[in-house]
Amino acid sequence: MNQAEVIAKLQTIFDTVFLEPVVLTPAISAKDVPEWDSLTHISLMVSVEKAFGVRFRVGEVENSKNIGEFADLIIKRKLEP
Amino acid sequence: MDAGEIKKLLLSNDPEFWSCLKTLTGSARDFEELFLLSSLRKKAHARKLENPNVTAKKIRLAIVGGYSLYPLHELIEHLCEVDGLPVELWQGDYDNYISEIMDDDSELYTFTPHVVFILPAERRCTYTGHLTDPRELQQAEAQRAVDGVLDLARKVNEKTRAEVITTNFMLPARHDLGAFRSRTLGSDWSFRKWVNLELGLNAPSFLNICDWEFLANRLGGIAARDERSWFESKQPCSSALLVELAREAANLIAALKRAPKKVLVLDLDNTLWGGVLADDGLEGIELGDTSPRGEAFKAFQKYIASLKQRGVLLAVCSKNDLAKAQEPFQKHPEMVLRLDDIVSFKANWEPKSENIRAMAPELNLGLDSFVFVDDNPAEIEIVRQFAPEVTTILLGPDPSDYVTQLADCRLFEPRNITAEDAERTNQYRSDAQRKALEATVTDMASYLESLEMESVMSEFVPVDVPRLSQLINKSNQFNLTTHRRSEAEVIAVMNDKNFAGFSVRLKDRFGDHGLISIIIGEKVGDTMKIDTWLMSCRVLKRGVEKEVLNELARLAKLKNCTRLEGVYLPTSKNEMVRDFYGKMGFTLTAESETKREFELKLENFQPATTKIKIVRRAYEPS
Repeated sequence: MNQAEVIAKLQTIFDTVFLEPVVLTPAISAKDVPEWDSLTHISLMVSVEKAFGVRFRVGEVENSKNIGEFADLIIKRKLEP
Repeated sequence: MDAGEIKKLLLSNDPEFWSCLKTLTGSARDFEELFLLSSLRKKAHARKLENPNVTAKKIRLAIVGGYSLYPLHELIEHLCEVDGLPVELWQGDYDNYISEIMDDDSELYTFTPHVVFILPAERRCTYTGHLTDPRELQQAEAQRAVDGVLDLARKVNEKTRAEVITTNFMLPARHDLGAFRSRTLGSDWSFRKWVNLELGLNAPSFLNICDWEFLANRLGGIAARDERSWFESKQPCSSALLVELAREAANLIAALKRAPKKVLVLDLDNTLWGGVLADDGLEGIELGDTSPRGEAFKAFQKYIASLKQRGVLLAVCSKNDLAKAQEPFQKHPEMVLRLDDIVSFKANWEPKSENIRAMAPELNLGLDSFVFVDDNPAEIEIVRQFAPEVTTILLGPDPSDYVTQLADCRLFEPRNITAEDAERTNQYRSDAQRKALEATVTDMASYLESLEMESVMSEFVPVDVPRLSQLINKSNQFNLTTHRRSEAEVIAVMNDKNFAGFSVRLKDRFGDHGLISIIIGEKVGDTMKIDTWLMSCRVLKRGVEKEVLNELARLAKLKNCTRLEGVYLPTSKNEMVRDFYGKMGFTLTAESETKREFELKLENFQPATTKIKIVRRAYEPS
């Protein structure tokens, strides 16, 4: 999976979680999306882990500055055996 | 129905949204699913799309604890609201619960909660000494852990009179210590099991235990925990268990405000036994230990019998010929349930919805007290459509799952089992005998005379509190104001000198009816305002209400009141007492859609005579 493919799949998850449509780009981040608060974040991460079959390590999600970096993190974790 | 469709309903401001939300919430098992539904609910409020079915006053719920209470609070709020019990929330700060509770000036108390939910920190529930310390030392520390939680609960209750719910403690799920864990009270495993056991067994009646140990065990110890979420955001457990915890909390809150169901209506063919009686005959039905299927049906009957023992009334509703349908109950050697276990037996060819409707007045219960169980989706659908107040359970295809289905439906959970609950079936049965007698005795007065009724009136006393609160919360029909009160609120009335509350017990030669009527008067100047007047419909037309008025007038005069003031607040269920005060000699003083007000001047009041012997009066030495 490349970054674009990951973002496309993330888009479907965001479409489920958020009421107002958000068009994901690599540069977008939580502060650009009014509905994306700390509560929604918890739910979003549970959904992402289930959808991609990955498990992030403690504390690493918050190091991703935007959707692009987050997609890269998903790819990295997916490549792990 | 899925997330996409419900979103469309929301975006088009369709009120249908709320019933969909309820359905989806009921079936949601995953955290993210439930959380999404909760977000949609909040957005509906933001868009001013309000739930037409929620009119209840908000319950003021405070949550405090040794964990981050986000997003647990969100799930609890959602589940309560969707269940028709909207809450107003106040959350404590992370791990600040002890000072929030101990500090008299804390925001917790300015919030004046009705219900306080405490999640004590599990890291404080651990033995701090050595694993091989003497047992007495370890036990003393475990006892301190129990007392610590009980003290917090007591303080909250004394300060707020709120109902208190506390979690107990999850057990560890890792192999650490190996088999040694059960040989010492110093291991978290043994320590917490001991604390949980003592906590539950010693909980006072205002304290409700949210059994986290059980919930985690049910889900699976490993699935219950998520260390990462603790480090990242101080979550108490895995998101999967968080859902179960929230559901349990919401369930406990609902149980404080609502009565459990009272009647279980059972289908026969393929519900109580395998096969079709009319086709297979008495010998041909599958029931009993000779086949696995027969054994499963028998186990289901045994479980139903245990519900009866807890006070649930059993009824039968079957499409059958009556004599034929009763035959197994009389003649089949493997039947657990017998005819005298069944308070109402309907076997005919009328729609089941009509049969159940007919049971309600027979048993003097509202339709919403009924649960109907059937294996046939068509029958379930008829009842859903034509008797929507009845809760229905569609049994799955495998009879070995029947017990599980009924045990997990959560409709018959008693909070405090009172001896009177267990007596109830007998009461209903002697009611039937009484009705038979009523038919033979020609005039009412001699009938009442023949009952040899005796009544005890009592001020509220602590030992009655669970029963008082139970009756206050479940009585719908003969209830003038339908003011609900938790146990804590009943205690508050009991201790307030401005209130004159009393209960009425009645027995006759057929049996003891137990506590059947509750009255709460409030003295305001020279007036005794009747805050609550309710009575069990089982004892209608006996003269109890006249004796109650006699007593109320007597107490009012003792308190130097010159008039009684009564009010009727209509609900969907209390139409029968609309003109009650008028019939009792009160004068109508004001009337509107939502309220009818009455007064009775005590000056010329003459006590009525009845056929009831008053053995004791309230507020008098016995």
